[in-house]
Amino acid sequence: MASIEFQGIYKSFGNKHVLRGVDLAVEPGEVFFIIGQSGAGKSVLVKHLIGLIRPDQGRIFLDGVDVTDLSEKELYPVRKRCAMVFQNSTLFDSMSLLDNVALPIRKHKDVNKKEAREQALEKLKLVGMGEYKDRFPSDFGDGMRKKVAIARALTLDPEYVIFDEPTTGIDPISAAMVDKLIRHLADHHGVTSIVISHDLRSIFGIADRIAMLYQGKLLLDGTQDDFKNSDNPIIQQFITGNPEGPMEV
Amino acid sequence: MASEIKPIWQRVLNNIGDRFMGWSFEVGGVSLLVWEIMRNTFPPKLDGEETWRNMYKVGVKSFPIVVVTALLVGAIMVIQSGMYIEQYGAYGLLGWGAGYSVFREVGPIMIGLMFSGRVGANNTAELGTMKVTDQIDALRALAIDPVRYLVMPRVFTMIVMMFLLVVVGDFVSLLGGAATSQYLLGVDMTLFAWSVITYVSLADFLHGLYKAVAFGFAIAVISCHFGLNTSGGAVGVGRSVNASVVGSAIAIFILDYLITYLDT
Repeated sequence: MASIEFQGIYKSFGNKHVLRGVDLAVEPGEVFFIIGQSGAGKSVLVKHLIGLIRPDQGRIFLDGVDVTDLSEKELYPVRKRCAMVFQNSTLFDSMSLLDNVALPIRKHKDVNKKEAREQALEKLKLVGMGEYKDRFPSDFGDGMRKKVAIARALTLDPEYVIFDEPTTGIDPISAAMVDKLIRHLADHHGVTSIVISHDLRSIFGIADRIAMLYQGKLLLDGTQDDFKNSDNPIIQQFITGNPEGPMEV
Repeated sequence: MASEIKPIWQRVLNNIGDRFMGWSFEVGGVSLLVWEIMRNTFPPKLDGEETWRNMYKVGVKSFPIVVVTALLVGAIMVIQSGMYIEQYGAYGLLGWGAGYSVFREVGPIMIGLMFSGRVGANNTAELGTMKVTDQIDALRALAIDPVRYLVMPRVFTMIVMMFLLVVVGDFVSLLGGAATSQYLLGVDMTLFAWSVITYVSLADFLHGLYKAVAFGFAIAVISCHFGLNTSGGAVGVGRSVNASVVGSAIAIFILDYLITYLDT
């Protein structure tokens, strides 16, 4: 049984039809990449999983349980199991890096403040940001903020993590570290990851499976080899980054 | 094909309809937020750190501006009434005139308007920025209820701090009034104090405090509502701050009217 299943998801904003019947299934422990052009609906699709966006039509299942119509309160247990790293980090400006990471621990784990901060520091060290714990998000660029956001997402030891463009804006060394972390979480902790990315080095480095969205629909769902060997001109244009081709920009 | 130009009556009706829908959305949104606040009030669920941070930001940082405003308000009240007091030689009523008007009306209203312009606008801008940068969604994604975590401490803080600032402001106003009466009108401060103590009742003081609590609640709810419903980036934040300050000012005057009517 798939861990995560999207069945026939449709979503429109006004007269803009973003998703037009997407079916996807993610297996347990998989590193599953979703790729596609900017505006293809990748972020919109994954936000459905934790109820940040509700579908116009279609169902979403987590471990076989239908989570589509859960209320905001009923979704909290789902969100504790399924963390999300947002595209623009979304760290809280008013808090230090340590307090950002400690917040979910303070709120959901039965620990005192000192212990929460110690656990948070461990997570910050995991992403190489421990020495900056008392600094504020505004002191850093996108890349470093993103690493802290990853640390924060991992605080509740989630079974599933959604990474929305985790390596965008990060230097190649840090990007490789993030890739290694995602792979490590899957291989050693059984964490299922959904990764939205345009980073071909990441995609063809750590993906177990890849799905490509195009014009609100699933174009191909397969392995790295399936993509490399695909004769679909749209897929080839995307992989090669060729500005000339059938893909509408 | 050129788009059809609607007749003027249809455009006027469309405009009225749009405005009506906009107002309905805001009134509905504020009502829902009040309901959410009530749900989280019994038992109260406040985040200690967030409450403490807001107490400092709202209370301590507002203190100087409130003191300056209150001093001037007291002085102005004495100057305005001084003309008639001198005309009739009723120096014993100067403290009553200043105290009565400051305690019941001018103190809470002036401090309320200052509070909405400083604290309410700041709150809307902060929440609005959090909204447009997905920080509110990030809270939800961390299974943290934004109303419980962000709104409840702000409502509590604004009510408590508005109350305390009006208490402080009332007495600072009287000080300003007493000093002005002494140095500008030559009315002895002790006569001013005697007039306040003799003619101004505890009910007058409490009347102003009821208003302070009501204004604090209204400013908190309105500023949080507009902040949490911000969209459209930096421009949207500006729009929300504007709407919040206007909405708070309207709410202050409506509540002032109602409380004055009911408690007189």
